[in-house]
Amino acid sequence: MRAHYLVQPNCWVALRLPSDTLKVLLMVPNTIVSLGKYGTFASNDILQRPYHLTYELLDRQEGHKDSGLRIVPASEIHEDTIAEEDAASSPKSDEAIIGGDGVEYELVGEDGEVIMRSNRETIDDSARQTLTMDQIETLKREGTGAGKHLIAKLMLSHTALDQKTSFSLAKYKLLKTKKYLRRFTVLPLDVPLLLNWYLSEKDPGKIMEMRDEMMGLTGSWANVHFSQSLPDAEGGRWLVVDETGGLLVAAMAERMGILYPSEEQLQSSSGNAHHREDAPLATSNTLTMVHNNAQPNLSLLKYFLFDPATTTQPCPDHPLNSHLQAISWLQLVSPEKDTFYSTSVEQLSPEELEAFKPGKRGTYYRKLRRWQRTTSIVDTALAGGFSGIVVASSMDPTSIIRHTIPLLRGGANISIYSPTIEPLVMLVDNYSTSRRTAFITSPPDSFTSLETDQERDNWKGDEDFPLNPTLILNASVQTARVRSWQVLPGRTHPVMTGKGGAEGYLFTGVRVVPARGKVEARGKFGKKRKADEIAANGRSDMKKGKLEGEAEELAATPAATDNGDDVVDVRMASPTL
Amino acid sequence: MAFQASPFLHPGTVSQTDRLAIVHLKRDLQLPTILRDHDEDNEGYAEGKVVNTRFGSFPHTTLIDLPWGSQVRASKVDTGSRGRRVKKRKRAGSAENSGPTKKVAKVDSEEAPIVDIAAEEAGTATPNTPAVKEETEAVAAASGFIHLLPPTPENWTSSLPHRTQVVYTPDYSYILHRIRARPGTNIIEAGAGSGSFTHASARSVFSGYANDQGVDGSPPKKQKLGKVWSFEFHEQRHEKLQKEIKDHGLEGLVQITHRDVCEDGFLVAGASPGADAVFLDLPAPWLALPNLSRSKPPPKHNGGRSKEATPTVPEDASSDTTKPWISPLNPSAPVHICTFSPCIEQVQRTVSAMRRLGWVDIEMVELSQKRFEIRRDRIGIDHSAQLGVQVSPANVDEAISRLLDVEDTFKSFHETGEKTELKKRDRPNPNNRAKILESLVGRKVYKEGNLAHRSEPEVKTHTSYLVFAVLPEEWTAKDEEEAKLRWEVKAREDSEKPKEVIGMSKRQIKRTAREAHKLKAAAKTASMPGDETREHAEGVNDNTLKGKGGVPEEACGSIKQELT
Ligand SMILES: C[S@@+](CC[C@H](N)C(=O)[O-])C[C@H]1O[C@@H](n2cnc3c(N)ncnc32)[C@H](O)[C@@H]1O
Repeated sequence: MRAHYLVQPNCWVALRLPSDTLKVLLMVPNTIVSLGKYGTFASNDILQRPYHLTYELLDRQEGHKDSGLRIVPASEIHEDTIAEEDAASSPKSDEAIIGGDGVEYELVGEDGEVIMRSNRETIDDSARQTLTMDQIETLKREGTGAGKHLIAKLMLSHTALDQKTSFSLAKYKLLKTKKYLRRFTVLPLDVPLLLNWYLSEKDPGKIMEMRDEMMGLTGSWANVHFSQSLPDAEGGRWLVVDETGGLLVAAMAERMGILYPSEEQLQSSSGNAHHREDAPLATSNTLTMVHNNAQPNLSLLKYFLFDPATTTQPCPDHPLNSHLQAISWLQLVSPEKDTFYSTSVEQLSPEELEAFKPGKRGTYYRKLRRWQRTTSIVDTALAGGFSGIVVASSMDPTSIIRHTIPLLRGGANISIYSPTIEPLVMLVDNYSTSRRTAFITSPPDSFTSLETDQERDNWKGDEDFPLNPTLILNASVQTARVRSWQVLPGRTHPVMTGKGGAEGYLFTGVRVVPARGKVEARGKFGKKRKADEIAANGRSDMKKGKLEGEAEELAATPAATDNGDDVVDVRMASPTL
Repeated sequence: MAFQASPFLHPGTVSQTDRLAIVHLKRDLQLPTILRDHDEDNEGYAEGKVVNTRFGSFPHTTLIDLPWGSQVRASKVDTGSRGRRVKKRKRAGSAENSGPTKKVAKVDSEEAPIVDIAAEEAGTATPNTPAVKEETEAVAAASGFIHLLPPTPENWTSSLPHRTQVVYTPDYSYILHRIRARPGTNIIEAGAGSGSFTHASARSVFSGYANDQGVDGSPPKKQKLGKVWSFEFHEQRHEKLQKEIKDHGLEGLVQITHRDVCEDGFLVAGASPGADAVFLDLPAPWLALPNLSRSKPPPKHNGGRSKEATPTVPEDASSDTTKPWISPLNPSAPVHICTFSPCIEQVQRTVSAMRRLGWVDIEMVELSQKRFEIRRDRIGIDHSAQLGVQVSPANVDEAISRLLDVEDTFKSFHETGEKTELKKRDRPNPNNRAKILESLVGRKVYKEGNLAHRSEPEVKTHTSYLVFAVLPEEWTAKDEEEAKLRWEVKAREDSEKPKEVIGMSKRQIKRTAREAHKLKAAAKTASMPGDETREHAEGVNDNTLKGKGGVPEEACGSIKQELT
């Protein structure tokens, strides 16, 4: 168990540099890792050491090319802040006391002139007058520049908004010296890290600008979790449509416990040439990925040692081999038109096989296995019964739902992420109360002419009802966003710059099974009610119904009953979610 | 009772007796209900146990064995003896149906007086024998329905009985994602409160039941079983949650301890939960933090540090010097923590304590969530006439034509003295059911107007501040020595030719190449030994810049090196 949490040889890790940028590397033993101008060190120096440790590159020993490393203890990481805090809490210290190691904070101008020498964040007036816009620009450049002994990093929140008053808007963050710049922290490469690396440094568009909070929400609302079948309880299977290069698949796989190979699975990586096709397909706790192209784009999974595109897999026993099952839209919607699926591989008799040359026999077997695997994946998918669907795609969600809704079992949870809200708004409109009421009151002939429930579930919609509005309950759209704060003694406030870009929205809903025949909602058609509010148990708050019913309901509605003794915990009471 | 999987984790395809189901009435109105095939509490309905809602009554018998997600019609319910007053209408209703069918016959002598009446009314009671209550088949009512949903942490959170403030879905989703609560994780949670977070974290860490046989009886996987270690010092809340956990089939996955964690720490029966993740939702997390150390926390008075912010170590059994101090944390994993506090002062004290206790990567965020109302805005005179509410014209043309109408009226009044204005009363009421349905079906008003979205009227603007931090694994000098032996570093001499270097930026790689080029030139003129250096450096350059289809750019060089 223990080794699992140490830096593993030949796995991906991230090094976080003082600039907060990440370097993502495959930790190959016996190599040299370069931290650019700050120096180099041997990969062996961090192998099988714990994650989250911060190291400092030591001065090179004479004659040596690479630096040794020193672990920076947490106490040292925080010592300046703690000293500052202690100083602040002892009333007599008026003077700024700075970190115990004698390193001073200074803000230096272009010409090396010291503008400020304090730990206070506010810049006094004289400093304000000294700084010109040009100087600020210089400081900004130098802040990320090379080995100065003292650097200043400037953070302007809204300079562009109003150049004229830039000084009043400027806030300064002081960074430490060279010593500080030679630190780095080793982090495990997991989903949150990969996500943030792509979002802030690599290519936010590739992951559809999906932030942590939206990823968390998406997984929760789709109810994705570890769910293996038990002898008397069926497990879970989820559909996923992923155009984030595999990040969404990775996040769901992480929730299901199938993203990280176990230690034994990692061990087996050395050598034997067995193929992905050999892995038996799991029947529960699976992700079925529906993809647009002939092959799924899962390039980001390589960071988790899963690379279906290569023949020499980094980890042949990876759990995703059996738990991730890919199927194209063509295979899902019109399997008979997919040549690979519909051309069966002939079963050969032992004699016929005998006649083959060994090489040809091998090829035959591989082909047979691949075909068997594909048919099995396609047939299982078409049989439906999925526990939920998770989507992050640029395709019209309405079309995705049209083709997947029949495959979801009743009670299945639906999560659809979109960087922009418009596609989701249009999707929800298909399920508006008025549209549903119209549908129930007078269903289209193309629908009523269908006999079986199954045919009805597969009804492809018409102009008025692009989707059957009775199959999804609680269609709604939400968003969430975190705001980061700086917490420092006397200087606690939200951080002043952030990333723009897509907000990110999530559609959620539940697949339901409508009762056959007409179902009347209970409720009154109030006088001033708009059409939207009346139908199908809509928002109509009815006049008192059955008394006993009301009473029981009241007892069951959330009501804070017992909050009195939480004196310190003064969380705001808020009536709705 | 035989082992039952939790309906949260293994809902199956149909609802089952004695398991939790969510009766969904409408958005934001759901009733969690444990389905019973008989009325053990004797509430007196002929149909057995009944869920009463404002959308009608739903006997449990109509809810059991249904595919999840089913829409269920309300039933006419025979209140039987319930009201004691004989309700004519009700009885007439039940007489209509095919007569009471024997579903469950239950013998219960204690309910004699009440049931006697009911039984007599139904004409089945035999005097002097224990009353036999018959539960009748439910009959569909004319209107009203619900949907029956399998429980999830999300619908449980929005429908659970609130005993405290709770952590809602947006917050717990983000928190669990960030503290790396995954299948197999041991998570500490305090205080448990109403159990909202408890249920969500149970789903996150679940990696098998303790008594799990695995599929087809195969021995349980070697996989580490995740578990929620929950603490609550309020006795009733502790009891209630304990019962819920049992009712929800989560026993074994969630262990609730009645405890003040600030005073008495996090060990359970003296043993360590071995936590990899921690969530603290209590008023003073900084008081609990010292109990979440890797080694015995420093004593109360530590050299001159500010008394205010210094966490104190509780005087309890665990600080008894005779016993070794046991950490509740997993010694061989980094521990991720989140504390959840509504006030900024709480955050400051927590962060300060974390710094002093060796936590790193301390970060504070606040999460805001919005739900949207999506609807069609129907504006215009045309719609006004139909709905009788809107008066604004849809556009300038409409405004002008209305003004012209007014002009006309005015003129004709002056010319003829006639009033053409229609009296309000004479206008037909556009809001009766038939009219509305007609406008829905005939006019398809659901397709008219502008599709628009806006925030829902009630917005939670602040829940709490979330502080995150990590406590790295402890790494001793001895550990480091051992690692050094295993992963020996052969120091490169200055003069030595470069080894494979990973992690260079493209710019650096170019520079290295340039330098190598210079070296080459120098070597040419001075015929110094440097060719190898150049070749190697260029090799790196080539590999890394061009990459090779499928092979990660960063890995190129290193993979190559490993193979050679
Ligand atoms: C706000 S509630 C927690 C709500 C919970 N997270 C949820 O989602 O339902 C806080 C709980 O912490 C409990 N609590 C406060 N201080 C505690 C302590 N020192 N030890 C254990 N529980 C404590 C309180 O009794 C209360 O039930």
